[in-house]
Amino acid sequence: MSNYIAAGLFAGLIYSMVALGYTLVYGVLRLINFAHSEVLMSGAFGGYFFLHAFMKSNIASTPTRFILLFGAIVASGLVGAIVAFAVERFAYRPLRRRNAPKLTYLISAIGASYFLLNFAGKEWGRNPIEPPPVISAAVQWQVFGTHVNLYDLVLLMVTLVLFGIVNWIVVKSKMGRSIRAVAQDSETATLMGVNVNSTIAQTFAIGGFMGGIAGLFIGLAGIVDYNMGFTPALLAFTAAVLGGIGNIRGAMVGGVVLGLCMNVPLYWLQQPYYAPVIGFSILVLVLLVRPTGLFGESLGRSA
Amino acid sequence: MSSREPRFSLNKEDVRLGATCFAGALLLAVMTGPAGTPEQPLGAAKQAIFSSHVFGFLVFGALLASLSVFRRKVRMGEWHSRRETPRRSMRSVLGMRLATMGASWWLLAFVIAVLIALLLADYTGPYVANKFSVAQLMGQFHNTRTYGYIVFVLWIVNSWRLRFSTREHRVHLPAFVKSVWFRVVASALAGFGFALCADPWLPERFSFSYFTFSGPSTHAFLSHLPTWLWSLGGLFLGARAVLADRKTSTKTNRLRARQFGVSTNTRFALYGVALFVAFEAPKFMSPFWQLAIFQQIGIFCFLAIGLNIVVGFAGLLDLGYVAFYALGAYVCAYFSGALPIHPPFILSPFLSIPFAILVCMLSGVLLGLPTLRLRGDYLAIVTLGFGEIIYVLATNLQSVTGGANGTGIIPSFTMNVPGIHFALNGQALSGDLNFYYLLLVIMIPVLLLFTSLNNSRVGRSWAAIREDEVAAASLGISGLKYKVMAFAIGASTSGVAGVLISVKSGVLFPSNFALQVSITVLVLVIFGGMGSITGVLIGSAVIGWILQFLLFHSFIDYQDADKYMYIGAMLILAMIFRPQGLWPSKRREREFHDAEGGLGSADAMSAPSDGSAA
Repeated sequence: MSNYIAAGLFAGLIYSMVALGYTLVYGVLRLINFAHSEVLMSGAFGGYFFLHAFMKSNIASTPTRFILLFGAIVASGLVGAIVAFAVERFAYRPLRRRNAPKLTYLISAIGASYFLLNFAGKEWGRNPIEPPPVISAAVQWQVFGTHVNLYDLVLLMVTLVLFGIVNWIVVKSKMGRSIRAVAQDSETATLMGVNVNSTIAQTFAIGGFMGGIAGLFIGLAGIVDYNMGFTPALLAFTAAVLGGIGNIRGAMVGGVVLGLCMNVPLYWLQQPYYAPVIGFSILVLVLLVRPTGLFGESLGRSA
Repeated sequence: MSSREPRFSLNKEDVRLGATCFAGALLLAVMTGPAGTPEQPLGAAKQAIFSSHVFGFLVFGALLASLSVFRRKVRMGEWHSRRETPRRSMRSVLGMRLATMGASWWLLAFVIAVLIALLLADYTGPYVANKFSVAQLMGQFHNTRTYGYIVFVLWIVNSWRLRFSTREHRVHLPAFVKSVWFRVVASALAGFGFALCADPWLPERFSFSYFTFSGPSTHAFLSHLPTWLWSLGGLFLGARAVLADRKTSTKTNRLRARQFGVSTNTRFALYGVALFVAFEAPKFMSPFWQLAIFQQIGIFCFLAIGLNIVVGFAGLLDLGYVAFYALGAYVCAYFSGALPIHPPFILSPFLSIPFAILVCMLSGVLLGLPTLRLRGDYLAIVTLGFGEIIYVLATNLQSVTGGANGTGIIPSFTMNVPGIHFALNGQALSGDLNFYYLLLVIMIPVLLLFTSLNNSRVGRSWAAIREDEVAAASLGISGLKYKVMAFAIGASTSGVAGVLISVKSGVLFPSNFALQVSITVLVLVIFGGMGSITGVLIGSAVIGWILQFLLFHSFIDYQDADKYMYIGAMLILAMIFRPQGLWPSKRREREFHDAEGGLGSADAMSAPSDGSAA
């Protein structure tokens, strides 16, 4: 049982990192970014290529491993941010300039997602790749009757640090103020001297940074694959809705709650493929019962 | 008519009509002629034209020509005014030749009676191969000539309707086209073309071997000849209908033409031609095109017109369209006993169609009701999730669906309603061609249904919701109801397509129902023009062709899986440069234009005002 709780918790941390990207973009644009799953994927590939290039042997010393891990995290975050920025630049901004209907944004985003997905498939092959074992699986601790390994610890720390940073950016920094202003009323924000276009691009980049790192962790836990982003992104969206889309703290909590809700029932079901089914049922249930999520919506109010 | 005019005058119009009818008579004569063989086509044609049938040919020609001249007199106003002018004295004052007119009426009646008698005699008389008979007409839908008759009749009927409604002539064409000689020659050529096409020397049923360019001998070309003539004749018919229509510029027709792009007459003729081409053309195409049409374009069209209801008409985004496709296919597999779990009763795939519709519609409503109360983009992501869930379940529920190894064998499609006996793998035609006809026969009613649905109260409600949901709600149009309706209709169309694809492939694998299918269908709708059924069909054809082309000519290191990359890029580019699509519906195009100017929304993405707020 405690194994499942731990698995849910750590899966939930990844979901909340991804959900943050959905929530931020939703806050400023009132749109679901369908290309976010490919941000994950490209982040994972960025990290993989970094490790592939610099990790010469599998038996590197511990300090080297930590430096490499740090570098991979930064690399995947940057790649994710760049991809998210590019998506905004090419799939969203031309439409925004034209004041196009909402339907066209969704279609162009799903197009961007498909383009990136299959571009990766074409360039880097359609077979799953195993990333170099930068985090040793040998280090384990026994906590409350379950095994917690180094990967989980790193994930927990990275997530907490990133949440702290993003929270600080959105609440305290000047960039965050303009993000919140655009989220509340973009026209008025323009009148007050906020550059809406660059603010939106920054929002995409922040979400992309988090998404890329989440992708790296998904990849490190298993494989790097051209369509690895799809299911986690779908579940992360569920997490964002669960926490209240547009609500940053909601996304953080929603991810963890979703991870637990999905993994704990597996204790009885014993079939891992039921997890996405449960997640999806939660999505429909939330939309049916409480569409505003656990903590309510709106970026401007909560942050 | 002034009395100075000669008693019997033939002007240019009469000559033209006469020539047309002459050609028609030739057609009839040849059609009733003796059968030929592929080896001796020209000999048989000579026989047909210059043997005993020359008599029938002359008689028919003369009858039709005189008929047409009399009809022309009708247009000149004589008969018309006879009806309108009750008093004999007044008619004689107007200079009408009463005796001639009376005689002509009787002659016309006689001709019609003879024609009917001929038809009846033919129908009730002994069966002769290659002879025009109603029995043959009804029984032989593989026979090219059947469609020849249909199109010919359509042509005659249409041109007659046009004549009667003509008030003034205004042709926007080069002078030589307007010249009467051009028309005489063109009509005669067309008539002759049709006569040749209703060929006495082709066997009853076509086989592909006649139309491959394999043989170096001359008769290979000669047996191709009817194909080319058919196509030319079809082109001519279409062009003629359009030209004749432009000529017709009564006020009503002009208004209609402006409203719908083309007038009813043109559309009537064009539908006839399109139907004919749809039935005939695939038999004569090259293997490349046959593969493209039977494997891809056919089922693409079916899927796309269903998704068009959701994306085009209702303005929603459905990314889990493939889920209903899979549901329909697996329902068919379930009821035909191909799944590990067994149904209470085994049905033929044809009879499982209603169940597929029911299941898909129910799941569409169940999925749509909670979601569509909210913002429209929730529908997109929920359907995306639903598609993934169906895929996961189909792959992993070994005991129910057979898992990734596929289902058992699904029996072939048979249709045995009274009067129609169809088997997908029946004799005479290859299975692929049979599948194409099956698709066509199911698709045409669906197309008619969806067109009328779009023009009905429901379609107007969809348009109202797209354009301004609040205003629509204030008029009592329930946003939720019509959105769910559109979603469920789209879902059930997809379910029917699933049944068809399951009987075509025989075995189902979950990998046939991956998310890519949804995106591909979305591209068909977007590229062709959302909201326009014609556009969507064109989009399916063009994309289907491009995909097949890329597959055959792999010049850029292209693999089948790469197509989705191009599809994705195409979606972005379409949204940026031409969101209304290649062949947009007028209304949808205007909506996009208005929405960009801040007027209306052009989609149904906002939460319905009668649902709970979100």
